[in-house]
Amino acid sequence: MLFTSPGFYLFLAIVLAVFALLPATLRIVWLMLASLFFYGVATPWNLAFLGGVMAGGFICTWLAERAATDRAAKGWLTFGALGLIGALVVLKFYDATATALGLPQLGITAPAGYSFYTFMVVAHLIDLGRGSITPPSLAGYLLYVSWFPKIFAGPIERSATFVPQLAQGLRLHPGMALLGFSLVLAGLIKKLVIADNLAPVVDAAFAIPAYAPPMELLIAAYFFAFQIYCDFAGYSDIAIGLSALFGLQLRDNFRRPYLSRSIGEFWAERWHITLGNWFRDYLYFPLGGSRRGGVRKIANLMCVFAISGLWHAGLGYGVGWGFLIWGLLNGVFVSVENLLALGAGKAPPGRGHWLSVILQTLLTFHLIGLAWVFFRAATISDALTILRRIAAALPSLPGLLPVYPFSADHALGATLVLGLMAIELAAGRQPLPARLLTWPRPVRWGVWYGGLALLLVFGRWQGGSFIYMQF
Amino acid sequence: MHESPPPQWHPGLIALFVLIGAVIYAALLLGSEWLTYRQGDRNPFFRIITAEQSHHDWIILGASHAMPLDFADTGAMIEAGTGMTVLNLAATGTGPLIQRLITARYFADHSAGGVLIVADGFGFASRQWNEDRLNDGDFMPRIPWDRRLVAIFGRAVAEGLPATTWLDYVSGFSKINNRDRFARDTWQAEEKFARAARPSDLADRQRIDYLYPDAENAETLARYMREMVAIVGLAQAQGAQVVVVRPPLPDRFRNRLPPQEAAFDALLRETLAAQDVTLHDFSTLLPAANLYFDTDHLNRAGVEAWLNGGLGAVLKALKHADPRGDRQSGPHL
Repeated sequence: MLFTSPGFYLFLAIVLAVFALLPATLRIVWLMLASLFFYGVATPWNLAFLGGVMAGGFICTWLAERAATDRAAKGWLTFGALGLIGALVVLKFYDATATALGLPQLGITAPAGYSFYTFMVVAHLIDLGRGSITPPSLAGYLLYVSWFPKIFAGPIERSATFVPQLAQGLRLHPGMALLGFSLVLAGLIKKLVIADNLAPVVDAAFAIPAYAPPMELLIAAYFFAFQIYCDFAGYSDIAIGLSALFGLQLRDNFRRPYLSRSIGEFWAERWHITLGNWFRDYLYFPLGGSRRGGVRKIANLMCVFAISGLWHAGLGYGVGWGFLIWGLLNGVFVSVENLLALGAGKAPPGRGHWLSVILQTLLTFHLIGLAWVFFRAATISDALTILRRIAAALPSLPGLLPVYPFSADHALGATLVLGLMAIELAAGRQPLPARLLTWPRPVRWGVWYGGLALLLVFGRWQGGSFIYMQF
Repeated sequence: MHESPPPQWHPGLIALFVLIGAVIYAALLLGSEWLTYRQGDRNPFFRIITAEQSHHDWIILGASHAMPLDFADTGAMIEAGTGMTVLNLAATGTGPLIQRLITARYFADHSAGGVLIVADGFGFASRQWNEDRLNDGDFMPRIPWDRRLVAIFGRAVAEGLPATTWLDYVSGFSKINNRDRFARDTWQAEEKFARAARPSDLADRQRIDYLYPDAENAETLARYMREMVAIVGLAQAQGAQVVVVRPPLPDRFRNRLPPQEAAFDALLRETLAAQDVTLHDFSTLLPAANLYFDTDHLNRAGVEAWLNGGLGAVLKALKHADPRGDRQSGPHL
């Protein structure tokens, strides 16, 4: 069931209505049942995977609680975490590797959302092992893992922030509901109006890059940067907004990423924040982080980005090494930034001259955009073709721009992208959906009606699913 | 997460918000409906609803193979040549389910002397050309809002049409959401009507793959053949003569058609014989590729050859021509 399907809103209305009528003690159970229905309604087999991960996490927690020593308890929790990661690796990569090596195949593919809830359970087990959380109730644990708004593509929530909210009792809160409504609306606009209107231009150019005009490739490269942002951030906004409707707060996942002034800032603070934090807390820090010298720090960074790239591989836009290159490129960018900062004897920039801020932001955006080409292209060869053809055509672009036959799709895409960036610049640190609630009611309603009209008139409701549901 | 100010629910405000939203929706719907009439042309339901005459000697049903009969000045030429009034209700990719709904809407407030059905096997082979096609973004937004269609689509839901299709039509959602709202409802292929295509094996293969997306399925064929029987029943109940024709196809294209085409042919003949409906098979009449403007659609020379090769005679042979006085009579050739 997709957030963009009419059936989902019927489901949501029923879940909300029953939630409001039920006594507080039964609400968690109701949301858990609704979440299982949501995840299994189209493909009941999905529930077997979810059940397996939940059971694995629960059994290891149960054994750890009953272990005779701390060491044994940690052993069970570590075993659980490694087992789940191992299963994820097998499900994502075994068949592709087996084909190459001529080994028998499993024929089992991880369903949508599998990595996301695996990461959540792994985080839960590690946090238990570190003693930073206490074991939740069974119902709390099950809802934490299966909560339907985030099950397909995050945010990758932590039980330390999620479960305590359940203990406080769930209720419909008018303020949260208004914020939730605004976030769902913003998410739908990002997905259906912006991402899905950019997609046809991107798809056409990336289909056979050798035949697409260089200008189309350049436009598609720019558009894809915004397509993937709006697609993924749109999903996150909807997930956070839906949770707010039920009085639950999820963590932010995106903070105006293309206004980052460095690649490090982009990954650490602005893009897919919950995954970045997951890698930081459960991979980068255990590897030693930045505490063991500059060379080790660079090696750790490259390791994290390589694994991040591999995590994307195997699914998505084709099985290939492009995702690894994408991850490594970002690792190289961050490493070079760190080396430059070390060389200059200072930390990455804080506030600076406005021209310097603009240049840094533009440079960061273009480096990120360059790496996205490897993410989106079907093969590394295609990505290189795209970059080579764009580079070759760059000198002639100024002359070509005034006479190029831009299509209505180009104009619509550019307008949407510029509109998005204008809103993000104007909104400041506080996102527009939250800022809206402080505005006078007529203005707030005007913005909501404008957003709804945008969805009705320009939304591509017959488009595809969310990109990150593939991972 | 931002801490929000309103501490309690305001049912009156919620109702007001919904009410204003409904008014805005209605305004968007009215604007979209206006655009539907302004840009309308090819959609068969649009043609019925906006038809100036309430009676036609012939209505033509079919998919894209029947559309060249109305390209450029061909429709006027046929009317002049046969002395019959003709309303061409063919549309790209429309199978028998849609044709049955078109027939039902037509006879709700119109009459015809005859119904000419240009039958294509692919239309009976997949729901893509039936249920899905009715609801796609190229077809549904072009249908004007009409209370008779609300009822017809509603009855079709009881017979298996997805309820969302009915809901979409009634709410006008896809009309408001139409990406091509400012473009005229034409088929761009019409621009190539005067040309002759260069044969291409690749184009033939791609076209046939496109037309037959599903594997052969006897149940699907039988289900859409029942729609054909329903069309015949609707027309005959209104006293209209029904004639079914198989359109001409170039040899190189026809020879590539999948084996399911033979099963379709056999069932079509059997079904029509049981209904006492005449079938004229023109599929081998015009084998030369230069009579088509692309892989399988007749160009101007091809249409003229088809009319002279038998279709003109079929149209002229209408048994009950001119029962009403409100038709325009064209000059005979």
